[in-house]
Amino acid sequence: MLFFKRGRIPGARSWELKTGLGKEYLKVLAQLDEELKDLDLEVKKVEAQNLSDYKPSLDGEEEMRYFVRLKGTLTPKEARMTGWRIDNLAALAACMSLIVSKQGKSERKELEQIIGEKVGRWRALTLTDAFLRSGYLEEDEEGLMKIGWRTRAELDLESLMMLIAESKPKGTIVDEPSEVSEKADEVESPAETVEAELED
Amino acid sequence: MAEKTSKSAGRRELEELIQTCVSIHNREFSPFLLDISEALRILRRHSKDWKTFSDNLLDMRAITSLARVVGLQSANLRFQSSSLYVDPGMVKQKIHSMSREQLAEYLLLSWHPVVELEQLTEASTKEALDYWQKMLSFFERRKRLQAGPFNEPSAMETAELSRLRIHEEKAFNQRLEDLRLEMKSKSGNDGVDYWKFVKAGSFAQTVLRAQMVSFLVSYGMAILERTEEKMTLIPRDPPFARGQGSPLSLPIPITQEAVAPRAK
Repeated sequence: MLFFKRGRIPGARSWELKTGLGKEYLKVLAQLDEELKDLDLEVKKVEAQNLSDYKPSLDGEEEMRYFVRLKGTLTPKEARMTGWRIDNLAALAACMSLIVSKQGKSERKELEQIIGEKVGRWRALTLTDAFLRSGYLEEDEEGLMKIGWRTRAELDLESLMMLIAESKPKGTIVDEPSEVSEKADEVESPAETVEAELED
Repeated sequence: MAEKTSKSAGRRELEELIQTCVSIHNREFSPFLLDISEALRILRRHSKDWKTFSDNLLDMRAITSLARVVGLQSANLRFQSSSLYVDPGMVKQKIHSMSREQLAEYLLLSWHPVVELEQLTEASTKEALDYWQKMLSFFERRKRLQAGPFNEPSAMETAELSRLRIHEEKAFNQRLEDLRLEMKSKSGNDGVDYWKFVKAGSFAQTVLRAQMVSFLVSYGMAILERTEEKMTLIPRDPPFARGQGSPLSLPIPITQEAVAPRAK
């Protein structure tokens, strides 16, 4: 139930798990989490009211959605193998840090502007759309951009904000591994800048 | 008369207040920029003037907007006391000063992608099979659409395919090279005027040539020099390298009105 995608959003809601596994589903999840450790995976719980598909449960029990996600993090090389480009990663980091600093909501124009500074205006437009499609961003009824379900499931925003806040300006990081920069150079070749879309 | 003027001034003040509140709600300004006590004083000052339904509605909208700003101030304070708080201005400055590689690296250190597997299950396969078996044949479905008589599939010549623009007569690279040679023959020492070169018999042809020229420039087979008055194309000679292509995007709007006078 947690691994296989059955609808638009992966994972399973608490009532689905309760129906499938019984009342003790939380114990089963804890056991699964323990088993997954060996595979560097973990069970992640996200409050459903933070997700776009939130429906209050009838019995008043708190509605949750559970996902299975990577416990550790990816190296730049591994991230590239999954189809993510440096531009996309940088744009997502810029986007999320700005939204978080503005208490979870920001104007689309402002986001596009800040992404545009890093990857160019046209890429900023396509990347914002791609982030919306893949669930990293959501648009509210007033047209403001807010954090999407995927961000809540996948990103450790506290750690990201800490890293951004503690960062030093460009050029002062001397001991950083050169691997990322090399990849970035590859990405920058004009022939490769044709497709910026993320996989949905 | 004085009462009328005071009322319209009051309405204007309330509308301005609502507008400010909306801007704050849209995250354009900090919620603390609005002096709540001053805003309440304005509301109180005019409250006795409101007699009509629309004026009272305006007053109510102003109070609601103000309440939302107070809510935002409260949320802001709670957020500022949380570990996630970083000043938006500082975040912008940090992002501006950081390289893409740095940003990407920070994201990777905080990113735990979700596992998503897509696979056929017995139930979904059964459902698909049922759907397939119950589906009417292509001809039955076509009848419902009343699409007229069905033409049997037939062979088509390459020339016909070219006419329908399904098949290209010349390879793309060959067309680019032909266009470069044409540019070379038309250009003097200072190159050739962009609009003179792309202009063709029809508007569609002009757009097609402009598109091909954009590829020549991107691939480093030609240089586009742009000044305030005109744009000049200068053909280059081989060998061509990707790095020689223009690193900039130069949007050139092409409309029928724009093409006609320029190319004269």
